[in-house]
Amino acid sequence: MAAITPSGGVPALGSGAVAAGGAARGAQALERLRAVAASPRAELARLKEHTGLQAVGYFDSYLPEELIMAHGVIPYRVTVDGRDDSRSMEHIQGYACPAARNLLDQALRGDLSALDGVLFTRYCDSLRGVFAVWDADGLSPYVDFVRYPTVTNTESAVQYLAAELREVSARMAAALDAPIDDHRLLESIAACDQKRALVAEVARRRATREMALSGSDYLGVLVAATTMLPDEFARELSALLAHPPAGEPGDALPVVLSGTTFDNVELAALVEQTGLYLIADDLSSGSRWYSVRVGGTAPTGGAGGSAGLAADPWTALARAYLTKPPCSVKEPAEPRADHLIAQVRGSGAGGVVFYLTRYCDSEEVEWPYLRDRLAAEGIPAVMIEGEHRSQGFEQVRTRLEAFREQIEGF
Amino acid sequence: MGVRLEATNNLKGLIKGYYDELFAAAAEGRPSAWLNVGVPCEVFYAMDIFPFYPENYGAACGAMKLTPKLSAIAEARGFSADLCSYVRATLGTVFSGEGPYGPLPHPTIQVDSMNSCIMIMIWWRAVAREWQVPTFVVDTPLVREDSAGINLDYVESELRRMIAWIEEQTGRRFDLERFREVLRLSNEGKALWSEVLALRAAHPCPITAADIFTHMFPMVSLRGTPAYVAHLRALRDEVKQRVDEGFAAVPGERFRLLWDNLPPWFDLKLFDELAQMGANFVIDTYTQAWGPRYMGPVDLDDPIRSLAAYMGAGFLNVQIGRRYDLIAELADLYDVDGIVFHSDRSCKPFSLVEVELRRMLQERKGIPGLLLEGDHNDPQLFDRARGLGQLESFLEVVAARK
Repeated sequence: MAAITPSGGVPALGSGAVAAGGAARGAQALERLRAVAASPRAELARLKEHTGLQAVGYFDSYLPEELIMAHGVIPYRVTVDGRDDSRSMEHIQGYACPAARNLLDQALRGDLSALDGVLFTRYCDSLRGVFAVWDADGLSPYVDFVRYPTVTNTESAVQYLAAELREVSARMAAALDAPIDDHRLLESIAACDQKRALVAEVARRRATREMALSGSDYLGVLVAATTMLPDEFARELSALLAHPPAGEPGDALPVVLSGTTFDNVELAALVEQTGLYLIADDLSSGSRWYSVRVGGTAPTGGAGGSAGLAADPWTALARAYLTKPPCSVKEPAEPRADHLIAQVRGSGAGGVVFYLTRYCDSEEVEWPYLRDRLAAEGIPAVMIEGEHRSQGFEQVRTRLEAFREQIEGF
Repeated sequence: MGVRLEATNNLKGLIKGYYDELFAAAAEGRPSAWLNVGVPCEVFYAMDIFPFYPENYGAACGAMKLTPKLSAIAEARGFSADLCSYVRATLGTVFSGEGPYGPLPHPTIQVDSMNSCIMIMIWWRAVAREWQVPTFVVDTPLVREDSAGINLDYVESELRRMIAWIEEQTGRRFDLERFREVLRLSNEGKALWSEVLALRAAHPCPITAADIFTHMFPMVSLRGTPAYVAHLRALRDEVKQRVDEGFAAVPGERFRLLWDNLPPWFDLKLFDELAQMGANFVIDTYTQAWGPRYMGPVDLDDPIRSLAAYMGAGFLNVQIGRRYDLIAELADLYDVDGIVFHSDRSCKPFSLVEVELRRMLQERKGIPGLLLEGDHNDPQLFDRARGLGQLESFLEVVAARK
């Protein structure tokens, strides 16, 4: 089997083919990232074709992609593609979360046939239902389930998850004939830490107005971050950071986008057409993900730093993913509100747009609490409920425009 | 019309006594705990902490047709109408003090476990935020088929962590011998419950579905108490007598059906209407969650680990393969003609596998199934006329296959 590195030996598109300098290089990088975000499955197909490697999909930000990479397998976060052909309704009821149903739709359409396997966690009750269908119908050759903790703030949860990741790794090795390589695990951790740090830097520069990147392009970066292999992604994002697009957000009102996952770049663009600027985020696929630093979490009692990481990378992985800013499906949830408020304060945003995925139980309970916490801080917030589709946006447009006017009237 | 059990009449006294005790504990300053059904009440009885189950309370709200009114109160506070109807009803009481028993006393603590749904955790979270109640989550990671090895070790450690936390919060000491005494009673009652479930296999079936569902109250809330054992014994004796006498709970029993999921608490009369067509639900999956497969006898020599094993692989904490095996086994044991899958809007873990299960059971076992859209607690989510029409048509299908 071919070895995988964080680049997988894949020829880069755009950056390597034509030497470009300065602003042109930045624009080239942005186009490349946009293209990946517009069609992540095409990027996956390209990666597989060029490497001959297997690929394993995952669905939520608690699954460490480093685990997959360590087996010499391409990790691929299956993003919500905004299409809904309702094929899933023949397998699961319509009151399952539409984002989860969309993932199932993609599999049923055959759009995920490039995946040699998938790894689920119990992220939410809808996703566990999708897992059941996927498993029962054998929608991927290899389907596995990580018995994930819900409680995130105990040492026993860290140790349990570390042990569970090792067990999943052993099963993956057997199922895919893809043995684990300890060195590659460390290399993958370093590469993923680096790419997350770069995304964090983009977010920081956007928040401080040093980088005029639209919110929709920023969301595209998030999609590309979990689609491309780390080295090429880092190369492109570094080029974008070095040569950011010119321009200003104009008089658009900066707001923080809060929610679970949000992969619909087109929908983000529509939101921004209402005169809002998505300057920062509180998303499971955004700031709650890119804050993960595995290399910065030394195992308990270990030497710390890189030496501690090398001694016990599994514990470091478990600790890093459990201690990131939590989603509402985890306990305790309170740090989420603090994280959201920090995003608002750190970016000077004028308010929060809370995107509530329909039938998302945990966010339905979290919204009244976040609304009240934000109100106590004097931060205006609006909730829009949707199914991750761009269609039917007109109803939302009026509310967002009114929200903007409300804030500007303060 | 099905013929109800005498034991069902005894429940009113048990329920009244339970709520009297809830209010007495609050008045006397004794500690109480809100628990979900995945948390064993035996621990709390052993520590003299009154265990209160909001899921039971929610069902009472449903049975008394109060859910729409209470739900509207929660919705006015910004909670979605798409949330579980137990949650909406209970939060309505929490926010307003309205409900079948008036304002509920604030609990001393709350404990919930992850072995049923995420909804439970966020429900407790909402109550904790409103009432400032110390709350503990027992982590029981969702498993594929069973809880063993590192998973069982982890759940056991979670139970021990829970006990230490309760001691710290309430000042009540956990005494292992006292716990064993409670567990002995609990085991005794569970054995009687298992007998009742097994007796339902008789031809004709001695109990109606409405009866058996109503008896979930003591199984959930009173396990480990003498009153619970006495009630279960009376129930078992009456059911056994019916079997000995060849008594049919549904006279002229024609259709032996399996009910999957929680019942519509607000409309147990639905089962009576089906009984008039000769149909009885001779078995169901809901009551199995307290049956020997998922909540069997606790090993008194190693009670914490034994309880952890049941919690870690609880009925809703395992996945579709185990659920299929259970239904397939029950269908054979109880000589089932057809299955009604109650697609319960308020219970995703129970419901979101039903479409697949119906297909699997049809294909592999040749058992017809109906997906009945509804809800366990909110009548606004159940189109009764349409549902009855579907059930009638389904019975025709079943009849044609007999």
